[in-house]
Amino acid sequence: MIPLSGPSAADAREFRNGMLMAADEINQRSGILGRKIELFFEDTGSQSAPEVVRAARHLIGHHNVHAIINGYNIGSQNSEYEVIADAGIIYIHHNTLLQHHDTVMSDPDRYFGCFMGDPAEYWYGQGFIKFLSWLRETGQWEPRNSRIAIISGNKPYSVVIANAMASATGQFGWDLVKRPIVVKSSTENWDEILDDIRAHDPAVLATTQFYSGDLARFHLKFMENPLPCLLYLQYGAMHRTFSEIVGDKGKGAIVGTVIGLPRDEIGKNFSRMYTERFGANSTPEVGCQPYTSLHHYAIAAAIAGRTGGPGEAQVNRQVAQCLLNYTYRSVAGTIRYHPKWQSVVPYPDAVRDPSLGLPHLFYQIQGPDQERALIAPEPYADSQFELPPWLNNASVG
Amino acid sequence: MEPASALAKGVEALDFGVAVWSNTGALQFCNKAFSKRFGKASPESLAGFSREEFLGEILRCSDLIVTTPAQTWIEQQIANFENNERNRLLFSDGSIHQLRHTPMPGGGTITVLSDFTEIIRSERSLEKERDKSAESERVKSRFLRAANHDLRQPLASLKILIYNCIEAQSDEEREQLLHNMDVSVSIMEDLLGALLNIGQLDAGRVEPKISTFQVSMILERMQIQFEHLATEKGLDFRVMPSNVALSSDRALLERIVSNFVANAVRYTDTGRVLVGCRRKGRNLRIQVTDTGPGIPETHYEDIFKEFFRISTKHSYRKHSLGLGLNIAKRMADVLDHRISVTSTPGKGSTFSIDVPIGSVWHSDMGEPDINERVGGEFSGLTALVIEDDDILRDALVSLLERWGMTVIVLDRYDNLQPSIADLENEPDLIITDYRLQGAVQGTDLVIEINDTLEKPCPAIVVTADTNPDLIKSIRQQGFPVLIKPVSPPSLRVTMHNLLYEPELVPEISGRTDDG
Repeated sequence: MIPLSGPSAADAREFRNGMLMAADEINQRSGILGRKIELFFEDTGSQSAPEVVRAARHLIGHHNVHAIINGYNIGSQNSEYEVIADAGIIYIHHNTLLQHHDTVMSDPDRYFGCFMGDPAEYWYGQGFIKFLSWLRETGQWEPRNSRIAIISGNKPYSVVIANAMASATGQFGWDLVKRPIVVKSSTENWDEILDDIRAHDPAVLATTQFYSGDLARFHLKFMENPLPCLLYLQYGAMHRTFSEIVGDKGKGAIVGTVIGLPRDEIGKNFSRMYTERFGANSTPEVGCQPYTSLHHYAIAAAIAGRTGGPGEAQVNRQVAQCLLNYTYRSVAGTIRYHPKWQSVVPYPDAVRDPSLGLPHLFYQIQGPDQERALIAPEPYADSQFELPPWLNNASVG
Repeated sequence: MEPASALAKGVEALDFGVAVWSNTGALQFCNKAFSKRFGKASPESLAGFSREEFLGEILRCSDLIVTTPAQTWIEQQIANFENNERNRLLFSDGSIHQLRHTPMPGGGTITVLSDFTEIIRSERSLEKERDKSAESERVKSRFLRAANHDLRQPLASLKILIYNCIEAQSDEEREQLLHNMDVSVSIMEDLLGALLNIGQLDAGRVEPKISTFQVSMILERMQIQFEHLATEKGLDFRVMPSNVALSSDRALLERIVSNFVANAVRYTDTGRVLVGCRRKGRNLRIQVTDTGPGIPETHYEDIFKEFFRISTKHSYRKHSLGLGLNIAKRMADVLDHRISVTSTPGKGSTFSIDVPIGSVWHSDMGEPDINERVGGEFSGLTALVIEDDDILRDALVSLLERWGMTVIVLDRYDNLQPSIADLENEPDLIITDYRLQGAVQGTDLVIEINDTLEKPCPAIVVTADTNPDLIKSIRQQGFPVLIKPVSPPSLRVTMHNLLYEPELVPEISGRTDDG
């Protein structure tokens, strides 16, 4: 279930690539206990509840699938969980949504097969405030004051991140200048919003908008008359589209992801194979998500002894138990499911040990043709934080 | 059998040792139990030994445990023989035996060696129970003294805050004071918890719970806890802000720092009390400096002793039990944090504690479960629910609360305006049944409520009536409609759109077009 024709089509292509690559690798080694994996892709368009539910029904009813594994569909508000729970199959997605915790915990027996292959978006908010505090406490950055301004997108994902950031500020000695400003996608009145924020003179400005196009438009507006503050952009700024639009002006902005590719031997090797197969313009950081989850599913199913189709919940309960029991060191880091949330536990946001959680990676954007600087957390960081150019100029001036 | 022979056989069969010594002190006879206990297979091998030879032999050959030098031990044993005194011997298998010497008529001595292991163990266990009971009594009275001592601070603070709150001139001021009262109450709760720990401290059962947290959390609580008291005394009270992550037990550390600050405020009559931090290598030193009477260097160690008071001249000291610093020191010992004091009599003192700096990444957020109640998109918002059916209403309220919302239930529809005006929070969203008791329509109520509110509140109408005309008419009034039973995902989608993306709600965007 991938949004091949909507605003997230670029990501959807990478999700498809990741699935193709994982299925080929598994099938070359004779599949799951001798049975080859067969893939079916359904387009979820703009990721609305009706589109995602329709896709799930079609996959289950028409193709009799044993598992649904995809990237994300963030507009369905978990509506598809009902169809999947009724069928009793395995579902692994990367929606990065806190509502997954709530739905699963509301009836663990019914939603036994629903897994989120990455941490909830909530961790972006909390983790970002810890990241800022870490910069401050290690002396890498001396904030002019303790004020933080937050602009939120209007999707649940963006609102939750903005709320989580806002609620963590006080505990770490930061002051929120005002409640997060919620803006809609493709907003036009950036001048007004930025002037309002400028009046509060924050040391940090964070925006949690989802789409890379929205983030790029905001960023260009910000750079017309930069505020003297650190700038954080949500995950969408990791995309090539963002870099293509903002070019050199992106340099210095901070961006994070709770699922990405560490630059260790495993991550680099995957990245190389992925771009060799899908081209230099492909994005292994996105493709790695379903790639990782399909591999984990195959291992769990092999240990469980078989896979189950619709109506074979008892078999799939065994597979689900194996997904929970067997921690998997994937190309993206450690996939370890929380037993109650059935979502991946993040490092260092929720665990101290990097071998027990998926790394929440923080980057600083460089030039359009340069690799982003991975600045936190240890032991994954390979670069140092640098003051963004607009702050450097401000201090010189 | 001859009586003598029968007696000898009987003695041989005894399960305790018997030995007979001549009046010259030579071993004339011993039974098997006696020789065996000292590692000799047959009694004959000991026959004829003098007391000194016997004692030397058993020291060499048996598994006797002797802690004094050999010669001293032998001399003690001989003295016991001569004075007919009982004594106990400890063996390496853990058994304890008693030697009892009794003079015989006509000369000589009979020695009985009995196993006392069980008797001694029972005695010891009784002693332990007795000590435990005495300790428990002592702990109880210490606890009561400490509770009295430590709860006074926040209680006094609370009294002042309540008075100020009554006198407050503005809502803003009252809100701030209420917040501070809330903090004071939570400080009292924490103190009681910590005091319970003191009992455990006495019993050696305090296990620190180390976590990572910001020092600012402790500093803020010091500010709130002591600012009013210090200001009332006319002191300049300052807490310097600091943003460093610490690795310690937050409750215990707070007790220690709070004790330093309480003492500083209590004993300083004029001048200032300053709480600040500075980095010292891998530690953060939290310092409390005052301009109080100071402490002579000769008392630097004494002040941390239990019930120690420098003098009772100062009126506050008369009421001090001298427990606070002792508790602080013992807690610091448990945490392995160093406490220090420097002072100049007549000028003031500085008490400090060195706390290991932690990694901010490991900061404990105090949330065992991450769910929508904690951080969902509706968390912190208020919903007004109007539904006659108890079961449906309870289910809806519980769902909304699970999503982190505050829920207000409206169950009377007459006299609506005052009940809306009395609400603590204006609702962010209304969810109403369409057909309510008394032929009241939910849509009419929403319109009436919105006339009362400062800003109109979006509403969702739920109904079990699937009549298309009815649904159409409700939608035309600008309300999205959900058909009962309402599924959580569809409610969530509608709520999200109404609150964050109203352009996606056709009932609203349609109305806008019409307008």
